[in-house]
Amino acid sequence: MTRLAIRSLLGLCWVATSLSAFAADAQELTFEKHVRPILKAHCFQCHGEAGKTEAKLDVRLKRLLEKGGETGPAIRPGQPDQSLLLKRIESGEMPPVERKLTPAERDLLRRWIASGAKIAAPEPEQPEESFFTAEERNHWAFQPVVRLTHVPLPLPDGTRRPRETMIDSFLLSRLEVKQLSFAAEADRRTLIRRATFDLLGLPPTPDEIEEFVNDSEPDVYERLIDRLLASPRYGERWGRHWLDVAGYADSDGYTDEDPVRAWAFKYRDYVIRAFNDDKPFNEFLLEQLAGDELVPLPHANLSPENLDKLVATGFLRMAPDGTASGAVDQNLARNAVMAETIKTVATSLLGLSLGCSQCHDHRYEPITQADYYRFRAIFEPAYDWKNWRVPNGRLVTLYTDADRAKAAEIEASAAKVDADRQKKLDEHIQRILERELLKKPEELRGALRTAHNTPDAKRTPEQKALLKDHPSINVNGGTLPLYDGKAAEEVNAFSKQATELRGTKPPEEFVMVLNETPNVIPPTFLFSRGEHFAPKQQLEPAELSILADGRKPIAESRQSNILPDDSALPTSGRRLAYARWLTSGQHPLLARVLVNRVWMQHFGRGLVGTPADFGVQGERPSHPELLDWLASDFVASGWRLKSLHRQMLLSAAYRQSSSRTSASDTIDPDNRWLSHFPLRRLQAEEVRDATLAISGKLNAKLGGKPVPVMQDEIGQFVLGIDNINGNGVPDKLVPLNGEEFRRSLYVQVRRSRPLSVMDPFDPPVLDPNCPQRNSSTVSPQSLFLMNSEFVQDQSRELSQRIATTAGPDVKSQIVLAWRLVFGADPTEAESAEAVAFVTAQTEVFQPKTPPATTPPNTATPPDPARQAFALLCQSLLSSNRFLYVE
Amino acid sequence: MNPSMRPDPSTLVARRHFFRDCGVGVGKVALGGLLANTMARGAVAGDANSLAPLKSHFNGKAKAVIHLFMAGAPSQLDLFDNKPKLAEYEGRPIPPEVVGSQRYAFIRPDSNCLGPRFKFTKHGQCGTELSEVLPHLAKIVDDVCVVKSVRTDQFNHAPAQIFFNTGFSQPGRPSLGSWVLYGLGAETADLPAFVVMSTGAGISGGAANWSSGFLPTVYTGVRLRNQGDPILNVSSPPGVDAKLQRDSLDLIGSLNRTRLEKEGDPEIATRIASYEMAFRLQTSAPELMDLKSESEATLKMYGCDPAQPSFARACLLARRMIERGVRFVNIYNEGWDAHSDVAGNLKNNCGKTDQAAAALVTDLKQRGLLNETLVIWGGEFGRTPMVETNPALGRSLGRDHHPQAYTMWLAGGGIKPGQTYGATDELGFHITENPVHVHDLQATILHLLGLDHERLTFHHAGRDFRLTDVHGNVVEALLA
Repeated sequence: MTRLAIRSLLGLCWVATSLSAFAADAQELTFEKHVRPILKAHCFQCHGEAGKTEAKLDVRLKRLLEKGGETGPAIRPGQPDQSLLLKRIESGEMPPVERKLTPAERDLLRRWIASGAKIAAPEPEQPEESFFTAEERNHWAFQPVVRLTHVPLPLPDGTRRPRETMIDSFLLSRLEVKQLSFAAEADRRTLIRRATFDLLGLPPTPDEIEEFVNDSEPDVYERLIDRLLASPRYGERWGRHWLDVAGYADSDGYTDEDPVRAWAFKYRDYVIRAFNDDKPFNEFLLEQLAGDELVPLPHANLSPENLDKLVATGFLRMAPDGTASGAVDQNLARNAVMAETIKTVATSLLGLSLGCSQCHDHRYEPITQADYYRFRAIFEPAYDWKNWRVPNGRLVTLYTDADRAKAAEIEASAAKVDADRQKKLDEHIQRILERELLKKPEELRGALRTAHNTPDAKRTPEQKALLKDHPSINVNGGTLPLYDGKAAEEVNAFSKQATELRGTKPPEEFVMVLNETPNVIPPTFLFSRGEHFAPKQQLEPAELSILADGRKPIAESRQSNILPDDSALPTSGRRLAYARWLTSGQHPLLARVLVNRVWMQHFGRGLVGTPADFGVQGERPSHPELLDWLASDFVASGWRLKSLHRQMLLSAAYRQSSSRTSASDTIDPDNRWLSHFPLRRLQAEEVRDATLAISGKLNAKLGGKPVPVMQDEIGQFVLGIDNINGNGVPDKLVPLNGEEFRRSLYVQVRRSRPLSVMDPFDPPVLDPNCPQRNSSTVSPQSLFLMNSEFVQDQSRELSQRIATTAGPDVKSQIVLAWRLVFGADPTEAESAEAVAFVTAQTEVFQPKTPPATTPPNTATPPDPARQAFALLCQSLLSSNRFLYVE
Repeated sequence: MNPSMRPDPSTLVARRHFFRDCGVGVGKVALGGLLANTMARGAVAGDANSLAPLKSHFNGKAKAVIHLFMAGAPSQLDLFDNKPKLAEYEGRPIPPEVVGSQRYAFIRPDSNCLGPRFKFTKHGQCGTELSEVLPHLAKIVDDVCVVKSVRTDQFNHAPAQIFFNTGFSQPGRPSLGSWVLYGLGAETADLPAFVVMSTGAGISGGAANWSSGFLPTVYTGVRLRNQGDPILNVSSPPGVDAKLQRDSLDLIGSLNRTRLEKEGDPEIATRIASYEMAFRLQTSAPELMDLKSESEATLKMYGCDPAQPSFARACLLARRMIERGVRFVNIYNEGWDAHSDVAGNLKNNCGKTDQAAAALVTDLKQRGLLNETLVIWGGEFGRTPMVETNPALGRSLGRDHHPQAYTMWLAGGGIKPGQTYGATDELGFHITENPVHVHDLQATILHLLGLDHERLTFHHAGRDFRLTDVHGNVVEALLA
C-alpha cells in the first residue's frame, strides 16, 4: 500500500469521504458531496460554526463562499486561480494550524471550482441550521425500520429445515453464500448449561440436568426456556445487563471521597422487578425517562405503581455527581452531571455518541453542536444547574401521612416517658442532696443548696468555689449511680423505655428521583467550546435534527412534538414528550439498539458489533434485514423481552455446538456469520456466583440494601463493613451473617472500591456507563484462581459438601464433583486421572508435612483426604470447562 | 503496522492447529517446556504470539522506556523556565494581548503575574539553567535534554493525562506503553512487559492511562501495588509449596487440553499459557521486589528505604525491571497541582522526587543501560505565569493550568544530552521557538524505539488507528 493511501486510511472519516471522491474522477463534483466535508473538517470551526466568522467569512454554503468576507469573494466559479480560498490554502496560510489539507484535498477543491463550483441541490436559507450530506442522511441507522414481508428461504424448494426459525432463515441465507452452515446441535448437557448461565447467570443443578437429559417429550427444550424465564434469577441476571448500560453505582464518584448513595439500590431492585415481570420495554423506558411527570404532584403518599415510576427516574441520576463536595468547581461539576447523563442516554438508547458535539459540530457524525444543546434542553429543567439540588436534595421520602402521624404519636408518648424520667430523676437528686447536706455544717447548707440548684452557667464564682470545696454535693444525673445504684437503675429504665418506643416509629426510607421544580423552566444556551461560562444563543428542546427530518427542529417536524412547556402539566413535559416519541415504535434507533444488545448477550457479538455506536463511524450490521425484522417484531409484539429471548433461544443458531471446523475457521474466523456457537467466558459476577452456587454457600435472598465493600489491611477491596477505628487501624471484623454469600449484583458498587474478587474478570467499567464489557484472559485471573482466599475457601466448602452427599467412595465423589462443576460425568480417563491426583496429594498432606490449605488457627487437624479433594475441586473450578460456556 | 509482523485474528487458525498438535500425545513435561519457551509471551492475555519480540521498523537506540509522570503538572516557571521579566511584572496584571482569548478554570485571564519563586543558576558543561529546588538534577544535567516548549491540547488533569498517554483526551484508546508492546513485543516472560507504579494519592485519569484500548488486553499495563503482594494473589497460600501448586496446574492443564481437543478454541491455549505466566510470576515478582541485593550505596543514592513505598523505591524498582527485560515502566507521582502555594508544593514534591529521578539516570548510566533506556520526566501540562488567588477556596500564591507551554526533560535512549530545546516568550506564556506538541513527543519516543508512528497502526472499527492519529512529527533536533 502506498504511503498516501495509508495516511488517508488513518485520517478520520472525512478522509474516507474524500477518498470516495478521489476515486470518482469522472463524476460531477458538488459542494455537498465533495467539498463540504473537507471544509467542515478544516475550516468551519473559525468560519461559520457557532457564530464564529473570522474575517467575516462563512464557508458553510457555496453561496456564502461566493459572497466572501473582508477581503472579497472566496471563490470565483470556473476561475480557480482567482479564488482566494485556494490561494490561502495552497500558500499554507490557511488553515493556521498544523493539520493542513492534503494535496488530494487541495486538488479536489481546485477541480470543483474549475468545473463551475456546482451544488447538488438548492442551498438552505439558514446556514445556522444543520445541513447534512446525502450520505449522512441516508445512513442506514437513521432510516425507518423496514420489516421484510417475506423472509428469504434458504432451500431451493422453498421448504425449511426442521426446527428452522425465522432467525435461522436470515442467518442461513448468509451462511450459504459463504458455503457454510450451522454446526450440529449441541448435546443436551451443553444446552442446559448454556441456557441456564445465559438466562440466570448460574449453573444448572445436577438434578435439573438429569431431568432435562432424560425427558423424552418433544418440547423439552421449549419448557426448559420457559422455566428459566420464569425464575426470579432471570431478573437478576438480565437486570444486571441493564444496570451496565444505565451506569448503576452505589456511590457519587467524581471526587476521591466518593460518597455512598444509600438509596440507589431501590432503582436496582426496580430494574430486577421490571425484568422479572416482563414489563413492556417501552413502558420501562418511559418511566425511566419521565416517570416523575406521570405521577401527580405532590409526590407524597405514593401507591406502589407511582412509587415505581419515581424510582425509575433513578436512571437519570446514575451519572457521577460531585456537587455534594465543597472542594469542587460547582458549575463545572453540575454541568458534568448533565453531560454524563446525556452520554448515558445517548449510548444506551440511541446507540450514538453525542459527546463530541458538546464543544463543536460533530466532525464525523451528522450531529451539530446546536443539536446537542437542543437535546440537552429536554433534560435541562430537571437539572437546572443554576438552581442546583445536591444529591441528598433530590431524595424523595417514602413517609406517608399515616407514617408521619404514627411517628408523631410515638414521639409524644416517648416525650411523656422522658418527662417522667426527668421527674423521677429530680426527686432522687433532691432526696440525695438533702441527705448529703445533713453531713455539712448547718450554716453552709442554705448556700450549698442554692448553689447546687443554680444552673452552672449562672453560678457566681463564689458558688463555684463553694461547690468545688464540697464535691459530695455534686449530685446530678451523671453522678447518681455513685450515690444510689438502685435509683439510677430506676431512672435508666425510663430512658430505655423511651428509646424502645422511638424505635417503633416506621422507618423512613428514600428514593433517588429526577424531577422538576413545578413551573420553573430554565433556559438552555449553546455553550461555546462546551464551556458553561461562554453561553451563546438560547435553544429550545428538540430531537437530533438528523432523526427529525434532516433540517427542521423537531418541534416543527412530523414525528415528535416536544413543546418548550406543556401547559397541561405543572412541569415542562419535555422529557415526557421525548420519551413518548422515543418509545412510539417510529424512532429509527431505539428498537434496533435494544434488540442488538439482547442479541449480543445471547450470541457474544451484536449484529452491529458496536452496540453503542450506530452512527456513521460505527460498524455496519452483519445482517441488516434480521436486525430490522427483530426490531419490528419486538415493537409489534408489545416490547416484551421474554418473547424476544424465546425467539433467539429457540433458534437452531443458538442450539448449535460450539465446536469449530477448519472450514469455518478459514472462511469465518470472527464467527460473524455464526457457523458455530461462540465460546463465552463467564462474566465477573458469574464466576463468583457460580462458585458459590456450586459450593452450596449461595444466599438466594432477592433485593435490598447492598452488601458493603471495605478495604482490608493489604489494600484489597473485600466484602465488609468499614471498621477503621479512630486510630486509623482496622478494628474487629463485623460479621455479615451470610450477606457475604449473596449474588454479586447485590454487592455495593462503590466506584472507588472495585471488589477484588471480581476485578480480574472485566467487571463493567463505568464511563459513565458500560455499553459493552471486555472479556480478557490475563494472568491476574490465573493468580486469583490459584491463590485467592475466596477460591480456596469455596473449594474446601465444595469438598465438604461432596463428602457429605456422595459418601466415602472417592470415585462417587469425583462423579459428583464433575456434575456440580461441569454439569457432566467424567470420562474413564478423567476419572482415573482425578483418582490418581487425589491419592497422590493425600499422601503429600499426611501429617509429616505442615498443614496446607487449612487456615493456621484451626483446632482440629485437617483431614489429608479432604485437603487433597479440596485441591481437586480448586483445579476443577480453575479449568476452562468451568470458566467458559460452550 | 505491517501485517506480516503481528498476526491478526485470522491467523488464530494456524495457532489453533499448533496447539491441537502439541496437545495430542504430548505429555505434561513437553507442554510445560513448550510453554516456557514459545508460549510465555502470550501468557498475560489474549493472544499467544502477541508478545513475542518483534523487529522494529528500523534500528532504534532505545529498547525500554521509563516514564516518570509528574501528575498534577509541575510549574515549569519555578523549576526550569527562568523568566526574570515575570519577576518585574509581579503584582501587575498580565498584558491582555499576551493572554488573548484563553480562559481558565480558576483564575481570571487578567490576573496578576507571579514571579519565579526560586533562584536559578546554570549547571554542568552545557550550562542548563535550573532552579535551586532541583539540586540533584543539576548534577546530571549534562546527560539530560530539557525541552521548554512542550504544549498540549488539554487543560484539565484527567483528559490531559489521557491525552499524553494515548493521543486522545477521552478514555478508550491504547496507551503509549501498549503501543510499544504491540510494536516491539516483550523481552521477558517472567514479568509483565508494561508495569505501572503510583506513588501518590491517585491518578485523575485512572486506568485509562495504561489501558490497551482497542488493542488486545495483553498489552495493558499491569499495576504494581504498594501494599501486600506487588501483584494481587501472587503469593501462594500458607503451606502450599511449589510442588503442590505444580501438580494442580498440571491437572488444570490436562483438563484444559482435553477441552482444547474437543473445542479447538485458541482461547483455551491462551488460558493454559496464562497459568504458566502466573506460576512464574510467583517467583519473579517477589524476586523483583526484594531489594536485599542492592548495595547500601545504591539505596543511599536513591534515598530509598526498602521497607517504605516511595518514589525512590519505585525508581529503583524501575531500574531492576529494565535489567530484567521489562519494556515500559510508568511511575506516577501525583500531587503537583499547585493552585495554592506553588513554592511550598514544589519544595515538597522536589524533596520527594529530585534525588531519585537523578539517581535513576546515574544508576542506569553506571550500569551501561542508559544508552538503551529512555527516561522521560514531566507532567500533563504547565502552570500559568499568573497567580492564582481565591480567598473563598483558601488559595493564594498558586498557579493555574497552562497547556500553551511547559517543560519536560528526557535522558538516554538516543536523546541528545546536555541541551535545552525550545523557548517561550519573556513571560513564559507562549512558545516562541521550536514548539513540541505532545503528538510530536509521542512520535519522537516511538522513533527512538525504532518505530515509525505513521506505520504503527491497528485496524479497528473500520479504519486504521495510530497513537498520533493524523498528527505528530519526529523532533529530529532531540535525537543524538
